[in-house]
Amino acid sequence: MGKEECKTMLDALNKVTACYRHLVSALGSTSDSQNLREELKKTRKKAQELAVANRTKLTALLKDKTISNDDRAEYERLWVLFTSSMEILEVDMKRSLEIGQDFPLKVPTRHFIQTGMTGSTTTVASRAMSVQNMKYEADANIDLTDLRDLEAEIAQVDQMMEDMEMKVQVAPWAVEAKQEAGAELRSTASIGNSSVGVISLCEEETKERGSWTDGEAGLMRVFAGIIFTVVLLIAGILGYLIINL
Amino acid sequence: MTISMVNPSGNLREQMPFLTKMERVIVSMQDPDVGMKMRNQRLLITVIPHAMTGSDIVSWLTQKYAITEEEALHIGNFLVKYGYIYPLKEPRNLCLKQDESPYRFQTPYYWTSTRWPASEMDYAIYLAKKNIRKQGELIDYEKECYNVLHKRINHTWDFVVMQAREQLRASKQRRKADRLVLEYQEQAYWLVNRPPPGAMEVLEWGPERGSIANPRVQLVTGHCFFLNNACVCECSFVKYCEQYQDHDPIMQGCLPSNPWITDDIMYWNMNSETAVMPTKLRVERWSFSFMKLLNDPLGQKEFLIYLEKEFSAENLLFWQACEDVQHGETSRIADKVDEVYKQYLAPGASNWVNIDSKTMESTLEGIHQPNRFVLYDAQRHIYFLMKKDSYPRYLKSEQYKNLLEKAIVPQETKKSVFPFMRRQRHSSPSPALLTQAGDDDGKALSSSVRLDL
Repeated sequence: MGKEECKTMLDALNKVTACYRHLVSALGSTSDSQNLREELKKTRKKAQELAVANRTKLTALLKDKTISNDDRAEYERLWVLFTSSMEILEVDMKRSLEIGQDFPLKVPTRHFIQTGMTGSTTTVASRAMSVQNMKYEADANIDLTDLRDLEAEIAQVDQMMEDMEMKVQVAPWAVEAKQEAGAELRSTASIGNSSVGVISLCEEETKERGSWTDGEAGLMRVFAGIIFTVVLLIAGILGYLIINL
Repeated sequence: MTISMVNPSGNLREQMPFLTKMERVIVSMQDPDVGMKMRNQRLLITVIPHAMTGSDIVSWLTQKYAITEEEALHIGNFLVKYGYIYPLKEPRNLCLKQDESPYRFQTPYYWTSTRWPASEMDYAIYLAKKNIRKQGELIDYEKECYNVLHKRINHTWDFVVMQAREQLRASKQRRKADRLVLEYQEQAYWLVNRPPPGAMEVLEWGPERGSIANPRVQLVTGHCFFLNNACVCECSFVKYCEQYQDHDPIMQGCLPSNPWITDDIMYWNMNSETAVMPTKLRVERWSFSFMKLLNDPLGQKEFLIYLEKEFSAENLLFWQACEDVQHGETSRIADKVDEVYKQYLAPGASNWVNIDSKTMESTLEGIHQPNRFVLYDAQRHIYFLMKKDSYPRYLKSEQYKNLLEKAIVPQETKKSVFPFMRRQRHSSPSPALLTQAGDDDGKALSSSVRLDL
């Protein structure tokens, strides 16, 4: 059905947008490198393909006059999702152009900002491209050639958004969101908050509330309890063996 | 679409110069030889590099720019307040302490930028992410902001939730240390751009001023993505200049001669309202816009003659009567409006004007309480009717073309051969010359007195 297809394509576009934003935020920092530039390029291309596919599908659906009102409302909601995604993509592309120009790769002394990020972004890029491993095959001066391509692509995206605004008559403010406030808290079992480091990050800001420090203390207590029981078990087993031998 | 990056006036903002300067300082701190000394930050299990102490920063600034410690502390404070360096121990306290408290550089994407201001949607995504991470335990002001945003950008809320989830999933792909740094960075960015209540707002905007200096504007259309309203204004300005180039007395000189230079007022006489035959330039100017034609009394006369031939003279007469009501005496407004009604608007009037029924209804209603602007809508309707219909035809008509041919091109008066010859002045001599003559006399007297001694 048209709706399901649209939704999956929009989800894909959403995923690629999020990954692209993640990659752009690493530009200019110490995790920047030739690989990152190539990842950006590939992710961008993928995003554009998805965008064009989404646009054709949605415009075709919206132009159809024979759909019911409910369907139409749903398609308008999907359209607003699509345009918001495109806005974010556009801004990120423009920013990546700016930062890419300010921090070129092929200079004698690179002055990348030491932000503390030292890992590579390969995993994020492979998530965006939906592949297992990323292959890097770009040549040495990717940053210059890529920036030129990027300028052209930004112009294309601008043009596309203008066309979209002109041709599709959807009032974005009339769309009602399906999710209410706090919807993200449900069904987020996989995105739990279990890293100990995060606790140390929030220590200062939540000192006035006892919850996190209590939580942390509780965790340490449980940890200590587990170690104690293990030691007791080992002592018990050793004692049993000694008595029996 | 949400209004995000482009501000209401349509121009793209430029990065403010003080921010560019701070960026340069930060980049020079990254020099591998003479830059900042970096340490490692040790958390419970993880070690994150690239931390520095407050005292390091101050001493580096003092050394590099050869300034006093006080000044270095002041500059360092700015760097922290504007989000280029963020503190690791007390994130909400954005100030530089000259001791062992750790700081870290912010990634360029999150640098404070007037060119890319933080948008509502981004803040909503950040709050949603925080909500997920903290299982709903947001701080009070953040909860308020969350609710406000939920109402304000409700139409994109689905997108906000989707994007928040995806961004968290993307960041889970990185290793733990990097994930922590990401969280620190984002938190610092939003503390600067959406400060908690009571904290100073560093990027306070005064009333929006249109920025005329947009150096990246190019007039050549193409794939220049800075083409925007600023460029449209520039294009129309250039067109205006080109159009009026020949008519400008300063650029082209005015014929017959500039009265201010030659004291010959023929130029004014020829272009006055009561002149019988207009100059060629004047007639050309009528073709620039309809308003220009109507502002010139001679133009109005000519246009009226043309309209009489076309049997639509009542339009212009009506327009003139409305102008009279608008700009005339208050005491006579009621009478004038009455006259206008009798002559132009009443059914079966002698000079009945063709207005659409809606405007006619509202005008007739308003006439019962006559004021200066009661005929405004009708006047505008007729104005546009004339502009779209009669005015183009007038410009193409024989009458206009004949007038253009017959119009005078005044001859340039011959310049006098003796440039220093005293010209016959019509106007009284300038008072400046009188006082100068008086001074000269005075000086002559005093010098003669001294010589006598």
